[in-house]
Parts: sequence; C-alpha cells; structure tokens
Amino acid sequence: MSSVLYQKVVKSFGALNVLRSLDLAVPDHKFLALLGPSGCGKTTALRILAGLDMPSAGKVFIGERDVTRLQPRDRDIAMVFQSYALYPQMTVAENIGYPLWIRGTPDAGRKAKIGEVAAILEIGHLLDRRPRQLSGGQRQRVALARAIVRDPAAFLMDEPLSNLDARLRLTMRGEIKRLCQRLSATTIYVTHDQVEALTMADFVAVMHGGELQQMAPPIEIYDRPANRFVATFVGNPPMNILPAALSEKGVIVAGKAVPLDAARLAACRAASIAEIGLRPEDCSAAAADTPDALPGEIYVVEPMGNETLVNVRLEGGNVSVRAGREFRGAVGESIGVAFDPANACFFNSAGLTAVHRVNNNGRVT
Amino acid sequence: MQTGMQARKYRLQGAGLDLALPYLMLAPGLMVVLGVLVYPLWDGLRASTRAYRYGSPVADVGFHNYVQLWSDAQFLNSLWVTVKFVALSVSIEAVLGFALALFCLHEFRGIRLLRTVLIIPMVITPVVVAILFRLIYASDAGMLTALSEAMGGGGVQILGNPLNAFIGLVVLDVWEWTPLMFLILLAGLQSLPHEPFEAARVDGAGSWRVFADLTFPMMRPVLAIAIVLRTIDAFGTFDQVFVLTRGGPGEATRLISIYGYDTAFKFQQTGYAAALFVTIGLVVLALAFSAIRLLRRIDAS
Repeated sequence: MSSVLYQKVVKSFGALNVLRSLDLAVPDHKFLALLGPSGCGKTTALRILAGLDMPSAGKVFIGERDVTRLQPRDRDIAMVFQSYALYPQMTVAENIGYPLWIRGTPDAGRKAKIGEVAAILEIGHLLDRRPRQLSGGQRQRVALARAIVRDPAAFLMDEPLSNLDARLRLTMRGEIKRLCQRLSATTIYVTHDQVEALTMADFVAVMHGGELQQMAPPIEIYDRPANRFVATFVGNPPMNILPAALSEKGVIVAGKAVPLDAARLAACRAASIAEIGLRPEDCSAAAADTPDALPGEIYVVEPMGNETLVNVRLEGGNVSVRAGREFRGAVGESIGVAFDPANACFFNSAGLTAVHRVNNNGRVT
Repeated sequence: MQTGMQARKYRLQGAGLDLALPYLMLAPGLMVVLGVLVYPLWDGLRASTRAYRYGSPVADVGFHNYVQLWSDAQFLNSLWVTVKFVALSVSIEAVLGFALALFCLHEFRGIRLLRTVLIIPMVITPVVVAILFRLIYASDAGMLTALSEAMGGGGVQILGNPLNAFIGLVVLDVWEWTPLMFLILLAGLQSLPHEPFEAARVDGAGSWRVFADLTFPMMRPVLAIAIVLRTIDAFGTFDQVFVLTRGGPGEATRLISIYGYDTAFKFQQTGYAAALFVTIGLVVLALAFSAIRLLRRIDAS
C-alpha cells in the first residue's frame, strides 16, 4: 500500500476546466471519499489517478513514484467501476483471476487466490457463471473480488454502489467499509452520496466546480464546514442558511435579535458576517410565543417515523427543523423555531465560514 | 328477452370482425408475397424436375437433373472455383475489414472523411466496378501494363492467365466488399461497452491482450454475422465476373452463377439450370443455418 498525492493537477477539455489545480494528499492505509455533485471533477480526478485520462498540467504520485505519464497497467492500482466493467465473455473465476493471469501468476497460485477472495466476498458458488447470469449485487462483489485479488498500491472506486437498489446499497456500504479496513488499503472512493462519504471514509474531500472545497475527517466536515457549499452539501436535510445582520448584543435573524457571547460577537464583527447556518437538528419546534424563538408558520410537515421534519417559513427564508416523532402541527399554524446560538455558524459575504459552532469544551473556533 | 338476444347477436358480430380484421389487413401484403416470392420459387422447383426443348417443357424427369449434376465435371469444377473464390475473398475481407474498423475506431483529425472514403467502393454499381477493373487489368492498354512499361517492364497478363485472372477477381471482390465488412464491424466495435476495456488496462493488459481477451471474444457474434452475410452474397457473385472474364480463361473464373447462366441461356437447358440453382440455394441455406446455430452455441456457452 502507498500514499497518493495530487500536485496542482489541472484538467481541461478545450475551454472547459474540469479540474482547476487540485492539491490532495491521501495518507497510506487511509480511506478517502471524493464527494461532490455531478460535474464537480471528482471522477476526472480518479481517472487521472488511474491513468485513464492524462492531466493537462500537474503531477500525480503513488507512494514515492511520479506516475503522471505512466500507463494504467504500470501504476499498480486496482479499480472498481460504476458499471462493474466485468469481462462479459469470461466466467466469474476468470474475471477475478484476470489481473493475476495477465501478470503470469502460475495456475495453482492463481486458483488458490481466486478461492480466497471469493470466500471473503461470499461468491464461491458463482465461480463458473458468466457476468450476465448474476444479479447486480453479485456483479458488484465480483468487481470487488477482481480488485482485491492482487495487492495493489491503491484501490480506486468510482461510485461502486450507485447502480444498486437502496437496500443492497446499505448492505454493500458496510461490507466495503469492513473489507477496506480488513485489507488496510489506501482507497480513493468517488461518490455523490454524502451518507456514503461520511459513513465509510477516514477523510472526506468535498469538491465543487473543479476545486477542492475542504478535506477533513467526516465529523469535522459536518461540524466545521469550511464554507457555505460544504455546509449545505453535507447533511440531510441540508443546513439552514438565513441572512444575518449584526446588532449591538448579537445578530438579527428573521427579524429577531439573537444574543451572542462577547467573544463570538467580536469574531462576527471582525469578519462582517452575512449569513447564519443552523443544522436542522440544532433547531427545535417551540410555541409561537416562546421568547427567544424565531417566529414563523408551518410550511410542510413530513413524518419520518423516528422523527418529524418540519419546514417552517420564516422572514428571510424557510428552515428545516427536526422535531420529535410526537410533533403535531398543521400547515399554516404559527410556530417558533428555537436554537442555541452556540450551535450556529456564520458565513461572511464570500461564503466562507467566518465563525464556527462552539465545540463541546466551549472554545470559540 | 328479445332485446337481450339482439345485443348478443351484435356482440358476436363484433367479435367475428375482430378475428377477421387482422387477416383482411394482411391480405394485400400476402398476395404480393405469394406473387413475387412463393410462385417463382414453386415455378423454379417445378422446372428443375422437367426437361426442356427450345424453351418449352417436354417431359417430367423427376430427380434426374439433380442426379446428373454430380457426374457433371463442369458443374463440380465451377463449384470448386466458387468455394475457393468465396473462402479466399471473404476471409481476406474479414481480416482487412476488422483491421480497418479497429483503426477507424480511434478519433483523430480527418477520421470522418476517411470513414466515408472507405465506404465508396461498396456503393458503386458492381458492373461499373468490373469495367473499372477491366481498365486496370487489360493487357494492351490497362493501367497495370502502363505502370509496368513505365518502370521498364513488359505487358502484364492478368485476364489471359488462369491463375492471374482468378486472383484478379478475388482482388476486385476484396476491393468492392471489404467496406461492407468494415462498416458492420465498425458498428459492432462502437457498440461495445467502454468500461471493460478500461478495466483491462487498469488490470494490466497491453493492447494485444486487450484485443485477444476482450475485443475479439466480444466481437465474435458480429464477425460471424458479417461473414455469413458476405458468404451468402459472394456465392451469388455474377455481374463482376460476367463483365470481367465471362468465366474464362478456360474455366478459371467460371463461378457457379456463370455456369448456371450458360446452362440456362447459352445451352437452353432450363430444367438442368433450375436444378443447379436449387441445389446451390440449398447449400447456401445449409451453410447459413449451421453458421447461425454455431453462433447460438457460442452465445450460450
């Protein structure tokens, strides 16, 4: 296993800049999720690492080796594709054994290895079948088996779960995470699904418009988003963003003065903040006349079973509130949205996070 | 009661019409098929069991024509020439067409123009192609002779020499029909999924292994169909030979179609010629069927 490094990698197709100077380092043995909406450049970044696309500028390293100009086969990597990319004319065993066969591994050793990885992925009974005789989940397992049959420097996965149905995706998510931990493999995992990124990865790199927005461990991405984009892209329902204006003792949000402690108020002043960000779970539904709650009216009520999502129309925009399962309210009713300002973060006019939420130890960050 | 009966009667009429309507709609098409396909076929089969004199049937001879074929040295020779011609032309076309298709799969400047140019021979009328090649092959004033003389050589004998004439015919067929192979195979290549090829490159395969392990196995059904189509078509080659050599010199390029034509129109043996073509038809049909069966077997395994 090896670390992976992108150094000022640029990729443009004609006038279209898909990647604008990507710098990214993945430590050895770590699982990195490349997260972003479609068209953000994450798949291009992965393909450049695989050698399937050449960067317009910049360098790529795997371990100590500069692989920028190397053919895919000389990079010592394994890749799992979104469409699985199994070899249709070969049996499952031949598919799994192909990377070994091409490298001239003797029959006996190859068979043993195929049996071993097939056992890990529980597809031992499918070895004589052809890909088209398999279900989507089984194909996915074969593609994974083909990737782990060697001991490559890095695993590359391009949205491997997006072709599976929702239930299977959940199972495979856990299985891939287990597998990668067991192999202690350096893994680059491309996904547009923030839940996959947060649940599986050691590090999440959020991309947008061909640029890296933030790279951090999942919890940090969630608690301390670097900017407005990361804040709203990660989290479901997304973080509520409302315009905020500074006042003497705090900020004014949705027509209501919200007091802040001195340190945070100073920080907000210094950054001349423009917006406030609030996670839905940090808001609660309160009676309309609660003193510090933001006044609004119920827009939509969505019971989820374990909780109820309440969308509330406030002055300045709508916000989502995670309310308890016992919440009862009708559309159009007046309601208050209560929150602890310590849990709010603030963005400046450029959309960067100027003041983060207060951590558990009470430190202003 | 009365009204109930009436209602049932109407319903039955409606149902009857529903049953008959599809056949009524099909009838015109069916008539055309019967007229231009089934009747001529039937007529040909009937002719093959008769003896003719001066263009009119004079006797029913049963399977005599069919039996006689197999002791007719000229028929057997023309069959052999045809098989040689078909096997040689179609295999060269397949290899050449595949190579061109692989080459034209890459995107580069001028590729569209190149693809178009490569198709041209296929769309030229066969007789025109043959005339073109006569101009090239002619021993007195042909292009090859001119070329040879310009380089200090003598006249080139193509159509006058049995072996050269046969090779010349194969070259003509390859020139004219490689584009068809190319077109079918290019379409096949373009419809292959992308990802397995990328996966193979990542897994460590070089260009040759990618071709041998992926491209060729995945293209086998398309290749088989292209070869079957070309084979059936090549068995019926007539116009080019007729214009180029009329089957000569001697019997060197006398394909089965030319021999059949001679039998029917030169020698006026209509019944015998019919039997000959029915036999060839059956041979080609058998070939096509076995090829398709083979294809299914490959597909199923």
